[in-house]
Amino acid sequence: METIAPFIEVIDEIKEAGGEVFKMCFQCGLCDAVCPWNKVRNFSMRKLIREAAFGLTEIEGEDIWRCTTCGTCPDQCPRGVKQIDISVALRRVATEYEVFPASVKSARTARASLISEGNPLQGDRKKRSDWAKGLSVKPFTEDMEALYFVGCYLSYDPRMKKVATATANILNKAGVQFGILGDKESCCGESIRKTGSEEVFKNLAKQNIKTFIDAGVKKIIVSSPHCFHTFKNEYPEFMVNFEVIHMSQYVLELINDGRLELTGDYKEKVTFHDPCYLGRHNNVYDEPRDLLNKVSGLELVEMENFRSNSLCCGGGGGRIWMDTPQKERFSDIRLEQAKEAGAKVLATSCPYCITNFEESRLNLEYEDILEVKDITEIISEML
Amino acid sequence: MGNDVLPKEVVQQFSDTLISNIAENKNFGDVMVVGGGVSGIQASLDLATAGFKVYMVEKGPSIGGHMAQLDKTFPTNDCSM
Amino acid sequence: MEYPDKFNQGISQNKAVHVYFSQAIPLVSYIDDSCLRLKEDKCDICSGVCKTGAIDFRQTPLKTDINVGAIILSSGITPFDPSVKEEYGYTKIDNVVTSMDYERLLSSTGPFEGEVKRISDKTNPKKIAWIQCVGSRRVTKGDNSYCSGVCCTYTQKQVILTKTHYEDAECTIFHNDIRSFGKDFERFFQRAEQLPGVEFIRSYASIEREIPESGNVIVRYATADDGVKREEFDMVVLSVGLNPPEAYKEISQKFGIELNSHGFSKSDSSNPIKTNRPGIFVSGAFQGPTDIPESVFSASGASSQIGELLDYRRGKLAKERVYPVERDVTGEEPKIGVFVCHCGANISSVVNVPSTVEYALTLPNVVYATEQIFSCATNSAREITDLAIEKGFNRVVIAACSPRTLEPLFQDTLREAGLNQYYLDMANIREHCSWVHAKQKDEATKKAHDIVRMSVARASRLEPLQEFDLSVNKTALVVGGGVAGMTCALSIAKQGHEVQLVEKAKDLGGMSRRLHTTLEGLDVQAHLDNLIQMVYQNPRIHVSHESTIKHVDGYIGNFTTTIETEGRTKEIKHGASVLAIGAQEYKPSEYLYGTNESVFTHMELGEEIARENDVVLDAEVLVMIQCVGSRNEERNYCSRVCCGHAVKNAIKLKKLNPEMRIYVLFRDVRTYGFREDSYREAMEMGVQFIRYTPEDPPVVEETKEGGKVVIRVIVSDPILGQRLELDADVLSLAAAVIPASTTPEIARMFKAALSVDEFFKEAHVKLKPVEFATDGVFLCGTAHYPKHIPETINQSYGAAGRALTLLSQDTVTTSGTVARINYKTCVGCQTCLPLCPYGAISYNSKKKVCVVNQILCKGCGNCASACPCHCANLLGYKPEQILTQIGAI
Repeated sequence: METIAPFIEVIDEIKEAGGEVFKMCFQCGLCDAVCPWNKVRNFSMRKLIREAAFGLTEIEGEDIWRCTTCGTCPDQCPRGVKQIDISVALRRVATEYEVFPASVKSARTARASLISEGNPLQGDRKKRSDWAKGLSVKPFTEDMEALYFVGCYLSYDPRMKKVATATANILNKAGVQFGILGDKESCCGESIRKTGSEEVFKNLAKQNIKTFIDAGVKKIIVSSPHCFHTFKNEYPEFMVNFEVIHMSQYVLELINDGRLELTGDYKEKVTFHDPCYLGRHNNVYDEPRDLLNKVSGLELVEMENFRSNSLCCGGGGGRIWMDTPQKERFSDIRLEQAKEAGAKVLATSCPYCITNFEESRLNLEYEDILEVKDITEIISEML
Repeated sequence: MGNDVLPKEVVQQFSDTLISNIAENKNFGDVMVVGGGVSGIQASLDLATAGFKVYMVEKGPSIGGHMAQLDKTFPTNDCSM
Repeated sequence: MEYPDKFNQGISQNKAVHVYFSQAIPLVSYIDDSCLRLKEDKCDICSGVCKTGAIDFRQTPLKTDINVGAIILSSGITPFDPSVKEEYGYTKIDNVVTSMDYERLLSSTGPFEGEVKRISDKTNPKKIAWIQCVGSRRVTKGDNSYCSGVCCTYTQKQVILTKTHYEDAECTIFHNDIRSFGKDFERFFQRAEQLPGVEFIRSYASIEREIPESGNVIVRYATADDGVKREEFDMVVLSVGLNPPEAYKEISQKFGIELNSHGFSKSDSSNPIKTNRPGIFVSGAFQGPTDIPESVFSASGASSQIGELLDYRRGKLAKERVYPVERDVTGEEPKIGVFVCHCGANISSVVNVPSTVEYALTLPNVVYATEQIFSCATNSAREITDLAIEKGFNRVVIAACSPRTLEPLFQDTLREAGLNQYYLDMANIREHCSWVHAKQKDEATKKAHDIVRMSVARASRLEPLQEFDLSVNKTALVVGGGVAGMTCALSIAKQGHEVQLVEKAKDLGGMSRRLHTTLEGLDVQAHLDNLIQMVYQNPRIHVSHESTIKHVDGYIGNFTTTIETEGRTKEIKHGASVLAIGAQEYKPSEYLYGTNESVFTHMELGEEIARENDVVLDAEVLVMIQCVGSRNEERNYCSRVCCGHAVKNAIKLKKLNPEMRIYVLFRDVRTYGFREDSYREAMEMGVQFIRYTPEDPPVVEETKEGGKVVIRVIVSDPILGQRLELDADVLSLAAAVIPASTTPEIARMFKAALSVDEFFKEAHVKLKPVEFATDGVFLCGTAHYPKHIPETINQSYGAAGRALTLLSQDTVTTSGTVARINYKTCVGCQTCLPLCPYGAISYNSKKKVCVVNQILCKGCGNCASACPCHCANLLGYKPEQILTQIGAI
């Protein structure tokens, strides 16, 4: 056993980076017990926090990058330790020193792309609205009902573009007067912030806020729970408040208001995966389920982990850009749970979740067993 | 405790020092003990022994409180009865 | 139609008309709100079958006005309901139960008659997990932030009982600190921990899921060295905490009393029994989470404070209890009635009760025998009285439990039947039989027959004994002028009694002289000054300073104590004695104490803070080490106050010098009750807590660092898996609280018992928590066990309350079971004299015989067994009585 003195300067740095809440931890271990990582490999949030408390953090190690910010442990922590804040603070310190383990390198690429193109996918900024070509989607103007904030994945990722298309179809069928920002839309910045790049986040946020204000935006509809979360809970740090509504909530509203009518039958067993940032972080559990239950013929079943106990896909906290060995992917477990529940369709409402699930689906060779769909894709089929 | 604390509850005669004819006693020397658990019982017994009349008010059908539900009690493992 | 039975936590079913539980008082049937007639105006079966016409559906709530001079709110607690939080899995998973459910499962009057069975399939669980702090010590929504204080120890009790029920049971307890802070709790924990198949794991646990096929529950927990583990259990018990009473808001509104932020009574730590409203007092767990003994003595304390308020009304309202005239049966042949108790299932699950009854009927002199479910229940006692009159018994044998608790009750039953109460014999077929022979049912039944036969034989030889009344001197003697002694003295004096207060020091105040604040924020010195002033101003309190007790004579109601003050002696006559002699601080031999002047005890540290010592206030690094001299082999108990002390000092220091780095090295943080909030506050301020184990204690050495002398403390942190090196400017030690040096001497003079740890030993932990076995002698304060000031105050009022139950009487009755020496045959050898632990025997040098003082005699029988000429006899246990009993084996 090594003898070591507390490293006061490091403690102060972590505090300054926003991680001071480590001081509340009384090492009960509940965070470790509930952490999804421990379903696939050993990882101790408790130890991470304890090390931070004495300035003994391994800044260059992998562990500070593990937290997917799924929110399970802070939800249950008896001492109100905000584990996400601590993780982010540690990443800020590492970013400051520019020390990164190999698995995090690809997140650096995403960061560079965010700075130059406003998206993490190395897509050309000018091509941000290319997905909408041939669909009647207009640029946003002040007189419209709402802004549809598409998000990076739905704008550039081939799989996710299908979701954008489905969404536009629904909004048009319901006669919603909506528009998009096109190449003026920038990444919301939620995930890059969680990797410790506070400045990049601030710049993205400021760009978006300026765009929103200039365009006269009041109401924003989003497809991604990450955009939803940051607009709703983080942008107010810049003294602005927009009405933000997630697509699952909005579509349900359209149906309830009689603006949208579902026809046809969807004779499938469907299970719903609660995205962390929609469920645990923002308490939206009922609307997606209510929406699925509106579909005639659809049978909704639950997986082992659902609602506040939902299992993270592994994509939050910037992990979507990092390398996770195949054996350590939570999304594999999630697909097995969906299969176990007897579902033929795994529906969700988050671009990261869908990206991870589609990849697991290929790896597990579940192509014939399970389909992965965004809720809007199911609804769009029923119009 | 129910919505109307006193009326609904059973005013219990406790120990033999109680007098049942309440109407006669328009005085303020008596004591009311609210709750018939172990603490209420001990308080009532002490007060009665020390010469006071006690009204014990208990919402449930029996005195004894939660202690009556316990099997044994620590650290001596005595029977809770 | 059956509905979930509330008393059995809804585990079993019951009908709408039922008896609440078999020992309920009053023991009558009642109709609960599941009644179809009450709900839907259907069904009328019960009134039809009731032969006495006792069922009357026309009854309406009866409103009664009563005038009272004072009120005690003893509204208790509500067990935390874990179904409010999804994570606990309660109500969703069958085999996840609460500790309250588990109490019922363990109980012989419970849903499965004392068999622990799983709800899902009614099998006995083999592997059981307890999860601690359910609803407690958590800031998460729906939980309570405070520590409930009782769960650690009740869980240990459940573990011990489980292992008694099922030797091969495997018990795992998931916890974060073991809070064995009470008297004898530490040993109790060790007893549980050392049982085979019992494991305490320091981690909170998460319930992952239920396995549908087996009904088993998967639990996840963290280990420091081995990552997260996943384990399957047959049953999970949630150790639920204590919530305020359900209707706390209503109580607060109706009675106009203030509550604290947790919904308990808002207490003033100088008097936790008082509320903001004069005349309304609070006792028991409504003050805040407490265990049974504290609920009992705070009740006595509340009654004492009411006595202060309403003393003028005392005795004007109560009615004397009148017994029938005693029947002289000495000339009659013995006619014995035998009652065999089931004790729920405690006896009848092992011993064949009907066969024992049948057997009893074959014994000589037995005229009647029957069985009873609980002989101690009100209706059963009534049955004994009625049958004794009807059948004309002149002796009664109760085959049930130990006479220790219930003998007085059954003696009373005999008196009600007009019999001398000493015509009773209790055959102990529970402790001596069913509990120890649970696995040998046939043999146990035979043994029960033997015990009953012996008891009947003895009963036939019993004689009536006479109790007599003694007058009571109305003065109280209080020994010790600290917070405990003064509080108690004042309460007694305010109820019209003279009090002699004896203090060995020059000034009043005791140990509290050295304390400046409490965690609750009480200004101790101001409180103390106020107390001292009230003591001096009270004309009924007579203080003797610098005085020592020299000699104590007499007995309950009539003591004569000799005290010496500055060389002069005086005699005090008094009826009651209260021993409040306090405790003292252990002088550590560990950790450089006494060799380095920057090493203090916590108490000294508190004084240095109050004195604004710069060495302390300007320290850059301050380390505290807990459990110095406690919780070790020599003193196998927790000093209870030190964790609170550490937190109090740390908060104070952080307020004065926010830059100071404070490390508290602990084994378990025992900030029970609302003190948990202060523990959290200290952490919030940046105080760091590091756990150490007794096997790997901190190492302290003096060393030089950068030219200055520092105290280097090295301690292993279990989570880091590394040793931390802390260079401290000041080291503070949580020195144990130890019994006052005068304790053995005072105990000897007052014939007061001491416990293993040499604190005063109360007569009964729950039934008589502030009394000694020696009648008329009471105790309070830290002489009983280390405790915080508010707890001492509670207990001191409690002792006053109990003393008043004696002092308010004109006479007391003594037991008839005493020794008698036949002076005609006594040769004056004095063999018995030194054997009497109560000093009840004296030698009459004129007549050359030994004489027993029948009031001091406690009936132990030492003299009778030692007397070489058989002239000392213990009444009720004379040789012929005992020999007959032995002869019946």
